[in-house]
Amino acid sequence: MARDFADRDALIAYVAAQFPDAAERDANVAPVRGGRAAAERRLDAIRPREYAWTRNELSGDVTRLSAYLRHGVVSLGEVRTAAIDRVNRRGDVRKLIQELAWRDYFQRLYAAGGDETIWEDQEDWKTGFGPEDYADTLPEDIRLGATGLPCMDAFIAELRETGYLHNHARMWLAAYVVHWRRIDWRPGAAWFLAHLLDGDPASNNLSWQWVASTFSPKPYVFNRENLERYTAGAHCRTCPLLGHCDFEGTYDEIKGELFRPMPWDDASAHRGATNGKRAARR
Amino acid sequence: MTDHRDETIGAAPDEAIRNAIVWVHGDCLRPGNPALAAAPGAPAIFVFDDALLDDYGTTLKRLVFLYECLLELPVTIRRGDVAEQVLAFAHGHGAERILTTPSPAPRFLEIGRRLDAEIPLTVVPEIPFLAYDGHLDLRRFSRYWKVAQRYAYGQAGLPLDEDEAPSRARVDGRGGPVG
Repeated sequence: MARDFADRDALIAYVAAQFPDAAERDANVAPVRGGRAAAERRLDAIRPREYAWTRNELSGDVTRLSAYLRHGVVSLGEVRTAAIDRVNRRGDVRKLIQELAWRDYFQRLYAAGGDETIWEDQEDWKTGFGPEDYADTLPEDIRLGATGLPCMDAFIAELRETGYLHNHARMWLAAYVVHWRRIDWRPGAAWFLAHLLDGDPASNNLSWQWVASTFSPKPYVFNRENLERYTAGAHCRTCPLLGHCDFEGTYDEIKGELFRPMPWDDASAHRGATNGKRAARR
Repeated sequence: MTDHRDETIGAAPDEAIRNAIVWVHGDCLRPGNPALAAAPGAPAIFVFDDALLDDYGTTLKRLVFLYECLLELPVTIRRGDVAEQVLAFAHGHGAERILTTPSPAPRFLEIGRRLDAEIPLTVVPEIPFLAYDGHLDLRRFSRYWKVAQRYAYGQAGLPLDEDEAPSRARVDGRGGPVG
């Protein structure tokens, strides 16, 4: 295949012509550039202390290295070295290194268990529902970003247009798909894999399973307050649904609405009592 | 398939590495790819896996990203059935060995077996994130981290924080990055 292109537009036109099915599925092109030179610019910009403080906020100081890590344009070890070079004590780099370790962990699980690990439920669901209760296809309104929920539709548009979503937005969107819409995590995970530049079967699918509860002790949910906080109100401030959207309520109220009681928790108040703090703690 | 782990790979290619080609795949698209480094100047190939792209419903933006990565590497770019394309390329260069880098993907193992059945395949290891090859409990990240945290900082001589002993480091109950 060709290697010489006058400019990026020529490259894009060539790839679209060579892979018409991919372009037909979605013809967006990410602003992010592939390649080592682009990856090194990101590597140079790592700020481990700021990362630890702000990484849960959508405007936080995240590294945006995931697509380069996924494709080995940079290695985990290189990111670690770059991060450690910028700090004087372990505490300042611990959070970033732990996130790098998550990738190592998922890759080890994939190596040990193969496709069975990443495409099969690792554990039973802890939502009070069984696998048969979840739809096995992704509805068009989700696929196209026309759910009517401004926050979710904005995340979906960003996913399709840029091939990237902040981790927190991934968790909210995955929780919306699986728990609010009661759709199996597999079509959701496959949808992300089709769009994400960093789409990695192990990290992606096991994280969807973590949200679903088939690879965690409890399902992940959020409420509007949590989303508003970490988006600095970007979606809620102007939302016509403010005050009565699907995500209003306390964690206990939301869990009461979304899930059936599990055999081991007769008191609904007890259910996942710490869940609401999960994202905040991260 | 042989693992190159116990062999020293220097700048001067040894007998086994002469007459080799390098198969570059999507898990290691950097100029410092250990297989490329093991056989400097050897012909190298990347193949877009048509069946995999269809299976995953891959969209244009991912392909453009990959293509941009490839343009910075000394590789011939092809598409189709990966094993067929790599073998044709290897035969075309009279290669007696194929070098590549590891991947956890089952599809990589399957392609590797097909290559190795015809031309010996050597998987040149990457430097692991953890310099540790003992047991790791993978049932939960917290169990993994209990051991991994001793190695996760690499060779860095960073001082521990006053409030930190390795066995007490906190682990958050989260699922890591989705994707």
